[in-house]
Amino acid sequence: MVKAGGGLECWAERHLRYLMLAPTVLILLALTIFPSIYMFYAAVHRVSPNPDLPWQFVGFDNFGRLLVDAQFQVALRNTAVFTIIAVSIEFLLGLGLALLLDRFIRRLTFLKTVLMVPMMLPPIAVAITWKLIYEPQFGVLNEIMFRLGLPTQAWAGDVNLAMFSIIVADVWQWTPFIFLLMLAGLASLPVEPYEAAALDGASSWRQFWDLTLPFLKPVIAIALLLRVMDALRLFDLVFILTGGGPADRTKVLSLYIYQVAYRFADPGYAAAISLFVLFVTIILSTWFMKRMRLAE
Amino acid sequence: MVRKLCLALAVGASALAISGLAWADITILVPSGSEGDGLRAAAADYAKMKGTKVEAVQAPYANVFEQGANAGATKSGVFDIILMDDPWIPFFAENGHLEDLTEYFKKAGLEGPDDDFLSKSLAICRNPYNTGPYVCLPYVGNAQMFFYDAAKFKEAGVDAPKTWDDVLKAAKTLTEQGGGRYFGYVFRGGQGNPVVADFMPIFWSYGADMFNADRTKVTIDTPEGAAAMKTFMALRDVSPKGVESYNANEVGTALAAGTAASSINWPNWVATFEDPTQSKMVGKISYSPIPAGTKPGSSEIGHWTMGIMAASKNKQEAFDFMLWATSAEQIKVSAERGNPPVRASVFTDPELTKQEKFRHYPVLMEAIQASTPRPRHPKWPEIENAFGIELSKAVAGTITPEEALKNSQAAIEQITGLK
Repeated sequence: MVKAGGGLECWAERHLRYLMLAPTVLILLALTIFPSIYMFYAAVHRVSPNPDLPWQFVGFDNFGRLLVDAQFQVALRNTAVFTIIAVSIEFLLGLGLALLLDRFIRRLTFLKTVLMVPMMLPPIAVAITWKLIYEPQFGVLNEIMFRLGLPTQAWAGDVNLAMFSIIVADVWQWTPFIFLLMLAGLASLPVEPYEAAALDGASSWRQFWDLTLPFLKPVIAIALLLRVMDALRLFDLVFILTGGGPADRTKVLSLYIYQVAYRFADPGYAAAISLFVLFVTIILSTWFMKRMRLAE
Repeated sequence: MVRKLCLALAVGASALAISGLAWADITILVPSGSEGDGLRAAAADYAKMKGTKVEAVQAPYANVFEQGANAGATKSGVFDIILMDDPWIPFFAENGHLEDLTEYFKKAGLEGPDDDFLSKSLAICRNPYNTGPYVCLPYVGNAQMFFYDAAKFKEAGVDAPKTWDDVLKAAKTLTEQGGGRYFGYVFRGGQGNPVVADFMPIFWSYGADMFNADRTKVTIDTPEGAAAMKTFMALRDVSPKGVESYNANEVGTALAAGTAASSINWPNWVATFEDPTQSKMVGKISYSPIPAGTKPGSSEIGHWTMGIMAASKNKQEAFDFMLWATSAEQIKVSAERGNPPVRASVFTDPELTKQEKFRHYPVLMEAIQASTPRPRHPKWPEIENAFGIELSKAVAGTITPEEALKNSQAAIEQITGLK
C-alpha cells in the first residue's frame, strides 16, 4: 500500500506541472476548439429551427450563398469602410496626441487616467450615450448647432451621416487605446540616437521620420492589429445607434450574423459567415505579424 | 478546512448556476416594458395565492424571440410559458415550439376560450390563423390607434381626421408653421420592424396587402401599394428630420413633449401621455381609429399572447396559470396596471371607462375589431427585415418609392418561394 501510494505520489510530483495546467487546458479546449469545430460542422449543414428535423448536410452551399447574398456584400463593404476609416483616424489621432503630450503627460497621471475613461466604459453605455447626443430633436449636438445658427442634422438617421456618426463614437472610445500604446512605446525609446541626431543637426521631423517611426513600428503593428481585429467585430454601436439602417448604410458583418442566426433562425449560414470573418481576421493577423517581424 | 469550505461553496454556486431557474414551478419568458411588468406582477399574485413558485424572466423585445427560439430549438425546457408578440406565433407553432392547447381545454371541461374575448384577439391565437387549434391565449390587447393633438389639428383646419388626406392637410400646415421645431406628423422610420409596423396600416388602408387571399402570390408591387407609398412619402416630408432612425421611444417622446402633432402608435403609450411627470400633453391627445385611404383604415394588431413551450416539464401548471391570468378578473387587474385588455367585459366595465385614463377604450376596442394581423408566415422575421430595408431606403431617399415596391416584391418572392 505504502509502496503504491509512494508510486502515485512520485508520479504526481513528476507530472505536477501538467496536472496544474490540465484544468486550464481543458477549459480552453472546451471554449475554443469545440465551438470552432461545431461552427464548421454547422456551416456545412442546413439547420432547421425545428428540433425534430435532422440537420441536412449541404456541403459548401452556405459558403456559396456568400457570393450571391446582396445583404452580406453590403455588410462586408460597410465593415471594410468602417474598419479602414475608423482605425486610420484612431491611429493618427492616438499617435499625434502621444507625440504632443509625451513629455507633458508623464507628470500628469490624472490626465492619463481621464483619457482612459472612454475605453473603460462598457460599449453599450458608450452607444447609449452617443444615441442621446445624436438625438435629432433633443440631443445636445443639435441643440448646440441650433444655438450657433447652424442647420441641425439627423446624425444617426441621415444616409450620408450615419456611418460617420458611428465612426466618431468609435474614435472617441478607442483613440485613447492607441494613445496609451504609443505613449508606452515612446517612453521605451533609447535616448542616445536622438542625442546623436541632434548633434548632427537633424530637424525634429527628420528625427521623427528616421528614428521615432522605425523604433515604434512593432508597437504600431500591435496597436493596429488589435484595433483592426476589434473593428471587424463591431456590433454594439451599430445595434444601438442605427440598427444597421438607414437604408442598410451601417449594416456590418457582426450585426448581419446576429440577424441571420437569431432573427432568421438560420445558424448554418450564420456559421458560414462567421467562418469567413475568422478567415479574414487570420489572414490580416498573419500579414501584420509578418510585417512586424520584417520591421524588427 | 477553509479549503474544503471554499470548495463546497464553489460546487454549490456552480450547481445553482447550472440549474438556473429550475427552482421555480413555472418559468415565464416576458418582454421588458409594461407588458412584461404586468405579467410579472400577475405571476407574483398567483404565487402568493396558490403557493406556486412562478419566475418571470424579462428580456428586451428582440431577445424574447431569440431566447424563445433557442429554448424551442434545443428543447431545453427552461421556459414553461412564453409571452409572444403575435406575428411570432407561426414561427413558434410551425417549428414545434408551442403546445396545442386543445387537450388542456378538454381536461378543464372547456371547449376553448370563452366568448368574452374579442374575436380578433382569439383569431391570432389559432394556427393557422383563425382556423387551426389554439396554441396560445391573448393577454395584452395591443392594436395601433391614431394619436393626434385635436387643438392643433383644429387650428390647421381639420376637426377630426377621418382620412389620410385630412392628416396630410393638417400635418403639412403644422410643419410649415413649426419652423423646424414642431411637426405635423411623426413615425417610426427605423429600418426593420419599426418602419414596417408604421407602414402596414397605410398599406392596408389603400387596399394593398402583402399576399393574395390564398397566399400563392406576393402582391406588394401593385397600384394599391403605389398609392399607399405615395401617402407614406408625403407623410415623411412633413415629419422631423432624422425620422429614418426613429423607433417607438422617439415617436412617443415627440408626442409627449409636444413637438409633433400626430402619429400612429400603440395603446400602451396612453399611460405615458396622460402622466404629468412624463408628458406635457396630459388630456390634450385624442385617439381615433386608423384613418382611411381609398378603403377603410385598419390597425395592425400587435397582441401579446401566452403559449406553453413544447419542451416544458410543467405544462399543466402552465396552462392553469394561463387560464387564471386571462380570466376576466385578472385581465381587469392587468388593465389597471396599464395593459390594454382583450375582453369585451373589461373594455366596457364602467369602473374603468369612467376614468379619464381609460377614455381611449371605445376607440381601442373598435381598432382591435377592425385590425389586420401581419402576414402569418413562419419566415415573418426575414420577410419583415427585407421589407424594412426597402422601406428604409425609400424613407431615406436612396431609392424611389417605385423601386422600393419592386425590390420588396422580388425579395419576398425569393424568401417565400412564391412567384
